Amino acid sequence: MLAVLDDISRFLSAPLWLTLACLLMMVTPPAQAATPRNVLVLYSHGRLLPANIECDRGLAEAFATRPDLAVVASAEFLDNPRFTGEAYERAFVSYLHEKYAAHPPEVIITAADEALDFMLRHRAALFAKVPIVHLAVSSTKLLSLSPLPPNVVGTPLVFDVVNTVEQALRWHPAADRLVIVTGAGPWDRVWEARLRDKSAGLPQGLAIDFLTGLPVAGLQQRLRDLPADSIVFTPGFFLDGDGREFVPRDATQLIAAASSAPVYGPFSTLIGTGIVGGHMASYAAMGRLGAQTAITLLDGASPASLDLPATMPAPLHVDWRQLQRWGISPRTVPPDAIVHFKEPTLWEGYRREVLSAITVMLLQAGLIVALFLERRRRRRTAAALTQSEEHMRLAANAANLSTWVLDCSAVPAAGTDTAFRQSGHGFAALLDFRETLAHVHPQDRDVVDKVLRDALATHEEFEVEYRVAAPDGEWRWQSARGRADLAPAPRLLGVATDITQRKRADIQAEQDRNAIHHMSRVSLLGQLSASIAHQLSQPLASILGNAEAAQKMLEREPVDLSELREICADIVAEDHRAAQVIRRLGVLFKRGEPSFEPLDVNDLVRDTIEFTRTMLTSRHVTLRTQLATALPAVSGDRVQLQQLVLNLIVNATDAMADLTEAERILTISTSVHADAVSLCVADQGPGITTSALGKLFEPFWTTKANGMGMGLAICRSIADVHRGNLAAANAPGGGAVFCARLPVLAST
Amino acid sequence: MTADAVAPTVFLVDDDRSVLKAQARLLREHGFQTALFESAEDFLTQYDASVPGCLVLDVNLPGLDGLALQRRLAEVGPSLPIVFLTGVGDIPKSVQAIKAGAVDFLTKPVAGATFLAAVRAAVAQDALARLATDDDATLRQRHASLSAREREVLAGLAAGKLNKQIAGELGIAEATVKFHRAHLMDHMRADTVAELMYLAARLKL
Repeated sequence: MLAVLDDISRFLSAPLWLTLACLLMMVTPPAQAATPRNVLVLYSHGRLLPANIECDRGLAEAFATRPDLAVVASAEFLDNPRFTGEAYERAFVSYLHEKYAAHPPEVIITAADEALDFMLRHRAALFAKVPIVHLAVSSTKLLSLSPLPPNVVGTPLVFDVVNTVEQALRWHPAADRLVIVTGAGPWDRVWEARLRDKSAGLPQGLAIDFLTGLPVAGLQQRLRDLPADSIVFTPGFFLDGDGREFVPRDATQLIAAASSAPVYGPFSTLIGTGIVGGHMASYAAMGRLGAQTAITLLDGASPASLDLPATMPAPLHVDWRQLQRWGISPRTVPPDAIVHFKEPTLWEGYRREVLSAITVMLLQAGLIVALFLERRRRRRTAAALTQSEEHMRLAANAANLSTWVLDCSAVPAAGTDTAFRQSGHGFAALLDFRETLAHVHPQDRDVVDKVLRDALATHEEFEVEYRVAAPDGEWRWQSARGRADLAPAPRLLGVATDITQRKRADIQAEQDRNAIHHMSRVSLLGQLSASIAHQLSQPLASILGNAEAAQKMLEREPVDLSELREICADIVAEDHRAAQVIRRLGVLFKRGEPSFEPLDVNDLVRDTIEFTRTMLTSRHVTLRTQLATALPAVSGDRVQLQQLVLNLIVNATDAMADLTEAERILTISTSVHADAVSLCVADQGPGITTSALGKLFEPFWTTKANGMGMGLAICRSIADVHRGNLAAANAPGGGAVFCARLPVLAST
Repeated sequence: MTADAVAPTVFLVDDDRSVLKAQARLLREHGFQTALFESAEDFLTQYDASVPGCLVLDVNLPGLDGLALQRRLAEVGPSLPIVFLTGVGDIPKSVQAIKAGAVDFLTKPVAGATFLAAVRAAVAQDALARLATDDDATLRQRHASLSAREREVLAGLAAGKLNKQIAGELGIAEATVKFHRAHLMDHMRADTVAELMYLAARLKL
């Protein structure tokens, strides 16, 4: 592939390249077209060393923050300690020289001691004036190199072994032994020396054992057998006692795996191998700082003007899992420590999800609570409603009420349903709940129809009584009361009461009243029996006398025919007269429903007087009549009104029993006042005492020795039935006067 | 009856005109004179006491009623015999009327025969009463106006003899005796044999 590319590049001539470059410059934005700034990064060790990978990551991050510089960082690896020696170095110098001749670096970054050493050694041959930024070089090493040329800058690394051990001792207060592990390689020996150097600064009383240059298997056995209350410190190693090569990270992993004591180390890259931690600088941070320093130089700053930190910060790094393993309380971890591999708590790892879940759960819980409350409220409402309905039902039952709603949205205009009404379905057309009200008694339909229409038109409350057919076929009386409700649709709301019992009671009362009236009439006629008998015997006597006279006449010759004819005519007339008496009597004896008809009160008075004439004669009462001419008609029941007049006449007659015959004057008068006809019966008796005036019309109140006391009570009830009244008073000239007022029949 | 004989008059008082009319018809058919009054007051003003006869009186009259009229007449003097008529049987009133001398107390409607019998009885009572009030001279004058044969027959009757006996003694036919008797009763103004006997006694025959 590369060979192919080479062929292509050789094939393309320089002018073509230029043309292409120009074309590229024309089509790409100017910033992008800036000349690449070459940076050479030289690592001391191999490409796969974790420290290098970390460092490279830091560099890349930092350079990415300045895309305008278009930094092209090329990495080279010395691969120490695998490759060393003069020949190697010469070849490497030559390689770099050749490689970067076309693209000389503007800044060189060296990582770790060996790279810096290499660059300083070959500076004359390689990029002599190019500034060098060193990183991951210990301050001890820098001291040995000083003074450095002015354009060699960097931030030194400090291996803070003392702090790490002191931290370890705080976590393992019982520890009395520090075991330091290093390898057999040159780098390992440098570290052993460094650590032996440092051990002088460690706390007094801490036994320090060095396990150096051991074969891995032996080392592991030793570590397994470590006495209690030991702690281990290791930088890892490159070479063991058997000459096996390692990278320090892998070595540390083997050490930590075998060790029966907690292991600490100086490199951040060792975190994760099983060590507890330590104060260590981060290689990524070193990379970032190195890159930033390089950027500053690329921006044109002079190396002398750089303001770099004195040393790389070495914060405490801790492996969370190792804290757990060695029973170290997380609370004892200093707050500025960098904790690795901490199992994020659900909250830390899934904060948003947890928040969402909690929110969702809260919402759900809220919803559930709301629903529960709503349900409870509904149940309470429903219970209250049920209770209310139960109360309503009880009340309705107690009151014999039923409620109804009548849909009137399709009420035909008055009069347009004549056809329906005539066919007996007037209510089917009007009422939506025809099931109920189509059963209204035919005689009541027109009334109900009118009332409902009026209610719809006026919006006033209405009340109507009517009969409906019960399932058993009987007619039951109902009273409906309600009002119109026009929203949302025209309808009538109301309640209906079964009033059959009341109606029956009313009817019974009416029947009783009629019966009492009848009994009273019969009793009255009993009192008048002599008078009545007399009235009958008169025509009979006349008939008999005439007939016998005729018989006698027929014995003679010649028969006086004209006389005979006259006799026959008289007989017929008298027979009619007798029949009339019987008819009048029959009317008064009649028992039954009152029937109202237009009546002339004068006629009625005259008719009634005939009944009493004989009685008045025999009791020596002089009757005077003052009847008004042209009385308007009243609506009345002839029988009842005759009864009323008869009663008053008999009473007046009785009232005058103690008077001399000449004083016994009974006056019957009629008159008309506005809308009523007045009928008065006046006597010349002693009048009515004040105490009696109030009780006169009460039933069973009487002044007569053999009276029942019903007469006047009945008279008043008759007047009431006729929507009139009956009043008693004392006449100015003496005696009592009873006046019945009856409303005039409205003229049609 | 003879033409010169005065027919007794029945005075009828009733406030019912049709009843009056019917009763009068019946009485006239039976040979009575009638006089009709519609009230007791009318009767009192028009009544001629000298006219023989009787009074048929309705109890129940407006104003002065039957019983009151009876009392009024009694106060004046011997009155016409009264037959009471009433529409309704009224025992207290009938007792009162009879005690006060009424001939009869009938309840309407009354059968013609009963009514006529009562009227006849009343008329007879009136005639007898009137005879009693006639003076002896008048009686002797009437007696003198009789024929000889009539006086003989009257004497026989007064002696209590039968028609047959009288016929035998006088040597005439029994029918002739009857003829004479009718004639002399007429002259003596005796309606009945009883009256004739009364007159004969007065004449000391």
